[in-house]
Amino acid sequence: MSNQKKRNFQIEAFKHRVVVDPKYAEKTWSILEHAIHEIYNHNASGLSFEELYRNAYNMVLHKFGEKLYSGLVATMTAHLKEISKSIEAAQGDLFLEELNRKWNDHNKALQMIRDILMYMDRTYIPNTHKTPVHELGLNLWRDNVIHSSKIQSRLLSMLLELVHRERTGEVIDRGLMRNIIKMLMDLGSSVYQEDFEKPFLEVSAEFYMGESQKFIECCDCGDYLKKAELRLNEEIERVTHYLDVKSEVKITNVVEKEMIANHMMRLVHMENSGLVNMLLDDKYEDLGRMYNLFRRVPNGLSTIRDVMTSHLREIGKQLVTDAEKLKDPVEFVQRLLDEKDKYDSIISQAFSNDKTFQNALNSSFEYFINLNNRSPEFISLFVDDKLRKGLKGVSEEDVEIILDKVMMLFRYLQEKDVFEKYYKQHLAKRLLSGKTVSDDAERSLIVKLKTECGYQFTSKLEGMFTDMKTSQDTMQGFYASHPELTDGPTLVVQVLTTGSWPTQPSITCNLPAETSALCEKFRSYYLGTHTGRRLSWQTNMGTADIKATFGKGQKHELNVSTYQMCVLMLFNNADRLSYKEVEQATGIPASDLKRCLQSMACVKGKNVLRKEPMSKDIGEDDAFFVNDKFTSKFYKVKIGTVVAQKESEPEKQETRQRVEEDRKPQIEAAIKRIESLIERDFLERDNNDRKLYRYLA
Amino acid sequence: MKRKDTVKLISADEMEFVIDKDAVMVSQTIRNLLTSPGGFAETKLGEVTFPEISAVILERICQYFYWALQYSR
Repeated sequence: MSNQKKRNFQIEAFKHRVVVDPKYAEKTWSILEHAIHEIYNHNASGLSFEELYRNAYNMVLHKFGEKLYSGLVATMTAHLKEISKSIEAAQGDLFLEELNRKWNDHNKALQMIRDILMYMDRTYIPNTHKTPVHELGLNLWRDNVIHSSKIQSRLLSMLLELVHRERTGEVIDRGLMRNIIKMLMDLGSSVYQEDFEKPFLEVSAEFYMGESQKFIECCDCGDYLKKAELRLNEEIERVTHYLDVKSEVKITNVVEKEMIANHMMRLVHMENSGLVNMLLDDKYEDLGRMYNLFRRVPNGLSTIRDVMTSHLREIGKQLVTDAEKLKDPVEFVQRLLDEKDKYDSIISQAFSNDKTFQNALNSSFEYFINLNNRSPEFISLFVDDKLRKGLKGVSEEDVEIILDKVMMLFRYLQEKDVFEKYYKQHLAKRLLSGKTVSDDAERSLIVKLKTECGYQFTSKLEGMFTDMKTSQDTMQGFYASHPELTDGPTLVVQVLTTGSWPTQPSITCNLPAETSALCEKFRSYYLGTHTGRRLSWQTNMGTADIKATFGKGQKHELNVSTYQMCVLMLFNNADRLSYKEVEQATGIPASDLKRCLQSMACVKGKNVLRKEPMSKDIGEDDAFFVNDKFTSKFYKVKIGTVVAQKESEPEKQETRQRVEEDRKPQIEAAIKRIESLIERDFLERDNNDRKLYRYLA
Repeated sequence: MKRKDTVKLISADEMEFVIDKDAVMVSQTIRNLLTSPGGFAETKLGEVTFPEISAVILERICQYFYWALQYSR
């Protein structure tokens, strides 16, 4: 086909009959007006949709859209005014039901009207920017019914009345409420907010203000919180059942403010039932409830946390300064652990493991543990007790748990070097007396300390273990090379490297002949294989097993300290010895000697010696005899034990002094480092605060 | 007697077309008519009269319905 032909080919619009009748619009409109009446009167079945649709279509087509639209507005408005009157006439509770029924009717009618006027909705209305039919219907309902003077306030007060009734425990028609509220929401969010939500929130605030006042006067803290929680849940449930979901956060804010935020301090500090009481009595449920409620209000959790912290610090302070409790270090540490366990439990069960609470707990412990400067010593004593006997028969897992708890306390210590000193002393005693329950446990703790503080901290401790092992090997070697000695007394030597072990004054005493000969043989053996070393005997730290036969022939094996052995062996050659004679023969220092004699002459069940006079103390003029009447149920009798005790005052001073000495070089080294960093411009001093350093870029 | 899922369309010159409901729903207007609440006369009887549309046109319209339905599937 050529282009010319294409251009000539046109399709013309379908032409309608031209309207001649001048009254056309009137006639058509009255048909439609009649139809609207019938629709409102539930008489639609006699109407033909097609006819009505066609008429409306024709009106719009022939430019009578304006008449149609304004006619619609007038007709609907008139009907709604009638409806309004019938709703006003309803009595009491029937008011809402009538409103609901008429609303449903109106919606149905509106939809039918919209359907038949669809063409106008789609063409005339967009062109003239008028309100579409459906929206128009809602607006007219709003203006003529909901906002009519006789209905508006009555509606609101009925709704609020029903809510109030429900709050006081009555059952109300929730379905009806839901429909009415939904109607308000359909009319627009501003209608819902202005005609219901705002007043609802105001009234609720007053209600809860009253409630909270009433409860706080007569309830204890736990009960009050239960009630508050109930009300909160009730409001949330109310929203899900018949209010706009966006109202939930608004109404919960009201309840939170009136019932919780406004009374927060009074609740927390309530006598006999407040937070502190709950903590003391482990009231997990109440505490959990408080946590959940308070987290909803500003500063709620920080309030709980602050009260808990100051309470903890108070308790902790009492614990560490109570003289009674300080008498038994093991008990003291156990109390600390128990307190920590208690609060760990509270935080996990009631405060949902909140990290900020965990931090508050840690900082409180750190605060009061360091109030007492004997804490490091006591913790070491606690460990000592466990490793000597406390862990006997305990499973491996439980051992780990206990050691981890100890480590946790260790971390709180500020003076960790003091702990190290004591730990070394106690460990030395345990190793040398062979009194440790489990080697694995010992080593496990060393590993934990190393992980926490680094190699430096534990290198000496590990050295001690190594010495023990090496000594075993040395003894094997010694006896292998001296087979002739196997019949005589058995010697067990621990060779201690000076740097690793706690420093001891080196005091020797006069050993009995048999023993000293053996010791010399060992010395030459050792120095033969290790040139350039020096050995000195630490006679204050050894033990001996000796067999004794008493007056009536009873035989016993006595486990004694080296000093005690020296004293006892003297009685092989003498029946009676005075204090002075013993002192001279053994060369043992006076205080040690007195303690040694006391343990053998004055202690029931261990009195292998007899003393004249029979006083409790050792006097310089006393005389000693073997106690031939000595009896014991056991064959083996233990007399000398070298137990770790908490230090006496002078000992404590000495240890502390040594710690201070050791700190000096560390501090000097740190100062030098800082000075060099300042010189090289990595740090500078703060201009205002002499104690502050700043990093430079 | 007509099957449940059909609708009768009647033209101006009284020709009757019995159409599947699915097909007739292609027209938005007829769809609104049939689903409008409140029971207009048409929904009761299941038939729609078009006093201004001739049979020829109406027939074409019905054909269009089926064509549209076929190609929308």
